[in-house]
Amino acid sequence: MGLLDYFARLFGSSKKEAQVLCVGLDNSGKSTIINRLKPDESTSEDIVATVGFTVERFQTPGVRFTVFDMSGQGRYRNLWEHYYKDAQAIMFVIDSSDKMRVVVAKEELDMLLDHPDIRVRTIPVLFFANKMDLRESLTSVQCSRLLELEKIKNKQWHICASNALTGEGLHEGVQWLSDQIKL
Amino acid sequence: MSVENGKNELSNVDKSSIMSHEGNTKWLNAHNDPVASLYTFSSCMAFSDISGDGEAKLVIADLGTGTFDMKLKVYKGTTLISENAIIDLPTGVCTFYMDNNEPRVPAIGVASGPYLYVYKNLRPYFKFTLPPLDVNPVEQDLWNQAREDKIDVTVLREMLDSIRREGNEGALTVRSLKFLMLQDREQMESFANLHKVGQLRRQTVITCLDTLHKSTAEDDAISCLVVGTESREIYVLDPEAFTILTKMAVPSVPVFLSVSGLYDVEFRIVMSCRNGNIYTLKRGMKMAKLCFELNSQPVGLQRVGKNIIVGCMDQTLQCYSTKGKKLWTVYLPAAITTMDVMHHRLKGFKAVMVALRNGEVHVYRDKFLINSIKTEDIITGLKFGRFGREDSTLVMSTKRGGLMVKILKRNATFEDKDSVRGPPASQQQKLNVPKKTKVFVDQTMREREHGVSMHRMFQHDLYRLRLTTARAFVKALDSSLTPVSTNPNEPIKLAAQIQGIGPTFKLTVSLQNTSLSKPSMGLLISFLYDEKLYSLQKTMIAVPLLVPGLNYTFETLVECMSDKGIADVIKVFVVKEGRSTPIITAVINMPVSETMVVV
Repeated sequence: MGLLDYFARLFGSSKKEAQVLCVGLDNSGKSTIINRLKPDESTSEDIVATVGFTVERFQTPGVRFTVFDMSGQGRYRNLWEHYYKDAQAIMFVIDSSDKMRVVVAKEELDMLLDHPDIRVRTIPVLFFANKMDLRESLTSVQCSRLLELEKIKNKQWHICASNALTGEGLHEGVQWLSDQIKL
Repeated sequence: MSVENGKNELSNVDKSSIMSHEGNTKWLNAHNDPVASLYTFSSCMAFSDISGDGEAKLVIADLGTGTFDMKLKVYKGTTLISENAIIDLPTGVCTFYMDNNEPRVPAIGVASGPYLYVYKNLRPYFKFTLPPLDVNPVEQDLWNQAREDKIDVTVLREMLDSIRREGNEGALTVRSLKFLMLQDREQMESFANLHKVGQLRRQTVITCLDTLHKSTAEDDAISCLVVGTESREIYVLDPEAFTILTKMAVPSVPVFLSVSGLYDVEFRIVMSCRNGNIYTLKRGMKMAKLCFELNSQPVGLQRVGKNIIVGCMDQTLQCYSTKGKKLWTVYLPAAITTMDVMHHRLKGFKAVMVALRNGEVHVYRDKFLINSIKTEDIITGLKFGRFGREDSTLVMSTKRGGLMVKILKRNATFEDKDSVRGPPASQQQKLNVPKKTKVFVDQTMREREHGVSMHRMFQHDLYRLRLTTARAFVKALDSSLTPVSTNPNEPIKLAAQIQGIGPTFKLTVSLQNTSLSKPSMGLLISFLYDEKLYSLQKTMIAVPLLVPGLNYTFETLVECMSDKGIADVIKVFVVKEGRSTPIITAVINMPVSETMVVV
């Protein structure tokens, strides 16, 4: 990467494009997180359950994100794998207040990481332990232990507790993600 | 309590075998609390979104210790969010929508004793009491007299006991039954004094509970309650006013109910009863109709489509059509503890889950075992359905009081082990048939052309063979050439053997009377031989009386007189005095004699 590129990036004239796949179980808060990350003028008031998927765009200084917000409902989860190939990053949202379904999230994550389109690639994975505000919620450390994130060897990953309703923790995560993409 | 009971059984099941059990890999272990201190059964478990937030809760009526500490517990996910005390032992729990008010919140119905408690928003809402039954007039009269102090407690006791002994135990009121249980006089007096003033009432007990959609079949449509009672009746209750819509009679006490249809249109109630029979009720019927009789007591009843599946005490799972025709039986490896229907909405099939006494849960689609789960403990309560936000969740309560939650994996597939109907696959395989040779073709042609005559020839030869055989047999019988006598008057067995190498041999003849009680008398043993070749020491042996069963041996020396190395046969005859034909004959092939060596 030449000096010119560096300067160009420094002044934000040519932003990097990144396609991110946002997955997670139903009701974990994927659409709410993405809605919160979008510029204020295009946020929507009501978030309803996603059917199929939606494509959203937002940007941080340096990276222009195109997010595929996948539906997390059981019957749509088999759509996820069709978008693995083009994804440059994965955003995995966990409902940290739903202890019972952590195993389901782990099962879905294991299937994702074991998919041929993902397994050999070194794309970054960002985890949001969402709903941190709820009293019975798991901490991000507990989540990473339950999901056995330490077993992910060939990918960069990061987990952060978040509250999509207030936006807490989201920017930390997205900052990490854009740093990873800029590398 | 249940904790102690379950301790010894299944304690040897090690965890690694459970982890590696093949069927368990289709399920995710969402939760396992072995010390949840739950004592409940399938009928006392239900899933429902009772707070209307889109998440199904688990409603459990906990039987506590069986005498006290009965509670209605509600789990949201794995956390207990509410507990309500229940006064009496719960026999069933169901959830139902009783109105169309928004937000749609279902009510919980808990059957306990003669009452049906209805909870709404987790608060007691209504208590329905089953109508009281008629009191035995004699019993009523006795208590009336006791109230007026006309009779004393011992007389009261005797009279009540006589009613009980007439076989009307179920016809007595609870008050009389409790009175009869008291032993000493003081207790009886204080009990009688305390209770004789009150009105005598006889109440029945709810044995089973289910719901029936009223006029529309949607999941959140208003449902009626169907209640089976100890007084052999089925009540259908209106969910809004809690009035009895229909009352129907059953020949025996209903134990398990399976309700389908709509109350206003057409419905069918299938019930298994305490007498081991299955009855059905339809709209408009006053008395239940016998569907089929079982040869073992039912321990679970489920309906899958149009079939009735009954688990029996003899470790079988039996399937019947609604007309009562038996379709199939599956023999299980252990006794059944409980059953539930597994309705897999995503894949669109229904199967029956059967919990067994060996700690396994088997899943049967039709009669094919499609999955089996192994657990650490005996399962007493089993419920499959939507729990939380997960559609296919299995909740199990164990004998030791544990609570287990398993979630079916999204991509789990079930295969019928032998779903291919018709001939087995091996029948389709082609055999390596060698090419037809000319000889083969000629032979085939010949067989085809002369088939009839070949068959006739074969039959002809067969008949001749049979005839020859029969003739030889008759001849043998006639001349008594056999070593066993066929004459029933002289049942004798003969065995002769020759010993030695020659030229002198010893001939041993053993005779046995084979009859049970009849001795043989006047027998002689004689020999037929070539006199030029052999000379016998005794040519005739007189046989003494033969006692039945004993073996007699007779010996004689035989000398071979030839040194030319030839041998002949010696025939041994057992003859009776005064008869020309021998009774039995033995033929001895003599060995070739060694030549005399002069030392």
